[in-house]
Amino acid sequence: MTPTISVSGLTRRYHSQLALDDVTLHINGPSITGLLGRNGAGKTTLMRIIAAQEFASGGSVRVLGSSPVENGAVLRRMVLVREDQTLPRLRVGHLLRAASWFYPNWSSGLAKGLVADFNVPLNRNTRGLSRGMRTALGIVIGLAARAEVTLFDEPYAGLDAVARQLFYDRMLRDFADHPRTILISTHLIDEAADLLERVLVIDRGRLVLDEAADDLRGAATTVSGTVDAVEKFAAGRAAWARRTIGSQASMVVSGVLDDDDRALARLLHVSLTPLSLQQLVAHVPGWSNSDPKENQSA
Amino acid sequence: MTAWIKVARYHMADPIAYLVGPWAILAFAFLINLVITKAQGGPNPTKALAVVYVCFFGLGILSTGRSLPFGLALGATRRSYYTGTALLAAALAAADGLGLALLQLAERATHGWGVALHFFEVSHILAGPWYVTWLTSFVGLTLLFVYGIWYGIIYRRWHRLGLVAFIVGQVAVIRVWIVVVDRGHNWGGAGFSFTPSAMRITAMFGALAAVLLIGGFALMRRVTV
Repeated sequence: MTPTISVSGLTRRYHSQLALDDVTLHINGPSITGLLGRNGAGKTTLMRIIAAQEFASGGSVRVLGSSPVENGAVLRRMVLVREDQTLPRLRVGHLLRAASWFYPNWSSGLAKGLVADFNVPLNRNTRGLSRGMRTALGIVIGLAARAEVTLFDEPYAGLDAVARQLFYDRMLRDFADHPRTILISTHLIDEAADLLERVLVIDRGRLVLDEAADDLRGAATTVSGTVDAVEKFAAGRAAWARRTIGSQASMVVSGVLDDDDRALARLLHVSLTPLSLQQLVAHVPGWSNSDPKENQSA
Repeated sequence: MTAWIKVARYHMADPIAYLVGPWAILAFAFLINLVITKAQGGPNPTKALAVVYVCFFGLGILSTGRSLPFGLALGATRRSYYTGTALLAAALAAADGLGLALLQLAERATHGWGVALHFFEVSHILAGPWYVTWLTSFVGLTLLFVYGIWYGIIYRRWHRLGLVAFIVGQVAVIRVWIVVVDRGHNWGGAGFSFTPSAMRITAMFGALAAVLLIGGFALMRRVTV
């Protein structure tokens, strides 16, 4: 089966700065994948190269089996919604009408519903849109396009919590009816965690984690208690991010805990708190170095 | 619908800028000149028709500088975006050039709108038969639009610094060219005579437009947004 998105050895260099460093990933079939990482990690660059808006310095990108660069047959099946999208000076209604001409699966009904949901003003010029309205407009286009490959780059800028929840709901509902490959980059990891089937983490241009989201839930736990008890519990386990304050310590241990582990925790009087996806991602650069002994530092 | 047509339609999604804008500005300039000529009570060979060419230059900048990123976000290829935009430029130039030629006919028939105003007739350049005026206008408007596209592409590829370098480079080239031709006293050989004909100017503009069109395509191929 041909991967929907296939990236191999992708590198992007800007003068002396390496924005992407030998990134390899494959996304097969309909799914919602989270692309996570800190600011400047390379998420936007990766998405721009996948959408052929930027060029790679090395490596290859194939979307729906072909290179997307100057490939109209691929590009019309893909949409990239960017936080920093420059918009032409048109009325919003005209802009949506223009967008509908480019996408064969465009749903006018869905666009109309989303415009109403997000209160997007159709008669206003794009110059007069607030940040939140611009974001909502991007969401309308990204979802109504029903493109086989849908890329959302930080689609929440300027949206309040209610509007963000609306976005999650509408995206999931439409995804259920019209499955497609959605790649979404975000900082609000825990908020989007339930949507994600797979998680990719980029750190300083390198892909440091590529796991199914279900495998990550409960994959690491914070152990807290007295220094001795924590050390005893963590003995023989992959552990990192150790913190000590006086006689108390906390440490993150990786691996799913079983009943025996919980019994041991009760015996040692240590508390166990599963890491959220966001906490996990924050620890990923250390975790991905894989030698837990080297990472046992505060 | 081909990709080129989609791009042209995208530009025209709000037709005011491309269809109404140049004519509204032209009408404003015309009315001012009409009032001035009437007040002066004598012939007025104004060059105010240049505003429509300036408008086309501005539309060229707008079509790439502002509209290109979203056009590519909608899945247009650089090649189809450029071709669709250039075709739109040619179509607008042909239609508006015809309008200018017809207005020139009307100006001649009314002896300068009754006040000897020569707004649509420009000596040596737009002074021949209507079809030559149409051709010259078509070539001139296309040239200015494509020249504007260059500014938009350069801004997208190299940002403000690139634009400044482009402008400084043009000034330097023109300056050197003037010095070289002037020292050789060879203005005729450089394509200029002191009584230029409309056809000669049209041919020069046409050649320049062709060079810019081809060069713009090459520039566009590596643009990023």
